[in-house]
Parts: sequence; structure tokens; C-alpha cells
Amino acid sequence: MQQILIAQADEGMTLAKDVETEEGRVLCGKGTTLSTCLIDRLRKMEVTHLTVEGHPVQDENEKTLPEELQAIEERFKRVKHIPPLMHIKKRLQERAVAARKE
Amino acid sequence: METDKKEYFRKTLREIKNLPTLPGIVTKLTKMAEDPDTTTEQMGKVISKDHILAAKLLRLVNSAFYGFPQRISSLNSAIILLGFNVIKSLIISASIFEIMEDQDVELWEHSLGCAVVCSVVAKRLGLSDPEEISTAGLIHDIGKVAIKMELPQEYEEINRMVQEEHVSRFTAERKILGLDHAEVGGWLAKRWNLPNKLIEPISCHHDPRLAKNEQLSSAVVHFGNIVIRGMGYCHGDDIWVPPMSQRAYRLLDLSAVDIDEILDEIEDKLWDVKGFSLEIQSEQNAASGEDCPP
Repeated sequence: MQQILIAQADEGMTLAKDVETEEGRVLCGKGTTLSTCLIDRLRKMEVTHLTVEGHPVQDENEKTLPEELQAIEERFKRVKHIPPLMHIKKRLQERAVAARKE
Repeated sequence: METDKKEYFRKTLREIKNLPTLPGIVTKLTKMAEDPDTTTEQMGKVISKDHILAAKLLRLVNSAFYGFPQRISSLNSAIILLGFNVIKSLIISASIFEIMEDQDVELWEHSLGCAVVCSVVAKRLGLSDPEEISTAGLIHDIGKVAIKMELPQEYEEINRMVQEEHVSRFTAERKILGLDHAEVGGWLAKRWNLPNKLIEPISCHHDPRLAKNEQLSSAVVHFGNIVIRGMGYCHGDDIWVPPMSQRAYRLLDLSAVDIDEILDEIEDKLWDVKGFSLEIQSEQNAASGEDCPP
């Protein structure tokens, strides 16, 4: 499963999650195979991103989970004495883990 | 640092000769705004004469950090909804960031991201002018662009110091120039006659205790810069999250639940920023493709 930008969507990809409007209305259901025409319609409805099956888009800068967690650790290295920032760091790391589990 | 040298830097940055002059349109609009008889239609007409600018403005106005439920398709409604100060700042950033887009996509992403955080936080706190605060977030690092354009040699020195001595850009600027990008950004904003509401959050984003009138907006931009850096939108070799003012954090008074929901909302809206940078990159690729045919 991968989250991609609408600009990265291509025909033949399969939705792994429903596409919803901000209000939570389902525009397009999980399991739908994307067609050029459908992508175009979603773009016109201002959908910014989609979750698709597999890992169709290769991003050379993409980090593995341990790399991502380490990067967060490094960024917050100099503010260890500030509790609210340590809380934010912890939440960001938990979110990174959760995002890859889904 | 010798006083002479510091004075020279100060003077150069105050004069800003190399930054592109603000489009004449800003001066014209400022004059129009002072006249109580001016209608938004008239202002909209002036802006729409510059097609590229008008398109950029509408793109910014419709981006996630303002988050209007409906699409804003006319400049008139943009002026009414956002107010003149925001439109003016957007014209400024559209012209200044044109340099940044080309040379420094990273700084552009950091700025757009910061605007997103500011917007989310300001709305959560129920502040009355979230659009102005996110605009301040968008242009908070404008001083960096000025230093790069006016003092290119020193700018390189600063980059080197950040890379070699592992200090923050802010520290390197203070060591080399005796002043920093927040201060410079504040001068620029003042020079462009932006309101205090926008000046203070820019000039105090590293130390919101300096804010006299706009303490809360300054705290929001200070926090916005920190959070977006925490999420990995940094600038150059300075990857570290800067320290947070305790006083600013107390002022924001955010609970653990607030933080979680804020992070959710930001992550969702950052997709729009990623879309923005992808567009810029493909524009650049297309442009470079035209320049050198295979």
C-alpha cells in the first residue's frame, strides 16, 4: 500500500482505500481500478492524494522505517531539554511506524 | 565583529538593491487601498492585467493553507475573503519566491509547510485572522532570500559554517553578519509597508519574546517553523529543530490531544505542498528540456 499524489496516479493502479471529500463523502471506493478518465475526474474534484495497492511509485529519496526514525531522532537532538518538543518527536515517530503498518 | 563591517552589512541589507523590485502593481494597489472609494472590482482588474501573477495568486489562495471550503475563482472574491494585506503579501511572495522556486525549492517547501502549520494552529486557537498568520508563515524566511541576493559571498560563508561547524543557520548568520534573517525579514516587511501584524511574526520568529504587540501571532509562527522542521521540512545542512520559547508555548496552551489532531490535519494538508513542489520540478524539467534539445 502506498500514498501517492494525484499527479503520480496512473491507469491500472488499484485504490487501497476509499477516496473521500474533506467532509467524508466517498467519491470512489476501495478496490476500484483507476482509468485515465477517473483520474482526471478526481483531479477536477481537487483530490490531492490517493492510497493505492502495492508500491507502484518509486521515490529515490524514500526512507526505510529505521532510517526515518533515525532522521527524526537526529532532527530533535538539540532540543532534548524541551519537554513539549520531545512529546512532538515521540508522536512523529509513532506516526511514522503507524503509517507503514497500515 | 568590527562595527564597520556590521554597519556595512546592515546598510546593504536595508537598501536591497539586488532583490527584484516589487512589481509596480503593489505600489499602485497600495495607493488604491488608501482611497476609500476604491472598489474590490477595480483592484481585481489591476491585478488581472498581469495574467501570470493573477494565476499564481489564485493558486496560492486556493491552496490548503487557507483551506476555504469552496474554490475561489475570481480575484474579487479573493480580495474580499482575504483582505488587502494578505493579497499584497501574496503578490510580494509570488515575486520574491520566483527566485526561490528556481534556486531553492527546499526553502519554498519549508515556507509553504510553515504556512500550513500556522493556518492549522491559528484556526484551532480560534484566532480572528488565520489568513494573515499563515501569510506571515509563508514569508517568515524572506530575510534568507535577501541575504542570498545582497551578500552572496557571505551567504556562501554561512552555508559553509553550517556544514563544517554543524551550527544552525541562525547562529552562523549572527557570527558572520552580526544580524540574522529574522531581523532582515522584518526590515523588508516594514519597507514594503506591511502591517505590524505581519512584521512582528517575521522578525520575532526565532525569539517571540521580542514581540511587542503581536505576541500570539508571533508565537504561532515560531511554533510553525519548529513543527515543520520537526516534520523534516528543513533548509540545507541546518537540519535541527530550533529551541522553543516556553513562554510562547504557554501562550498557545495546546493540550496533548490538540497536538495529535494538529499533526493529523497538517499531514493531510501537506499533500498540497508536495503537489506544489512536484509542479515546480516538472516545470523546471520542461523548461530545461526546451533549452537543450537532445
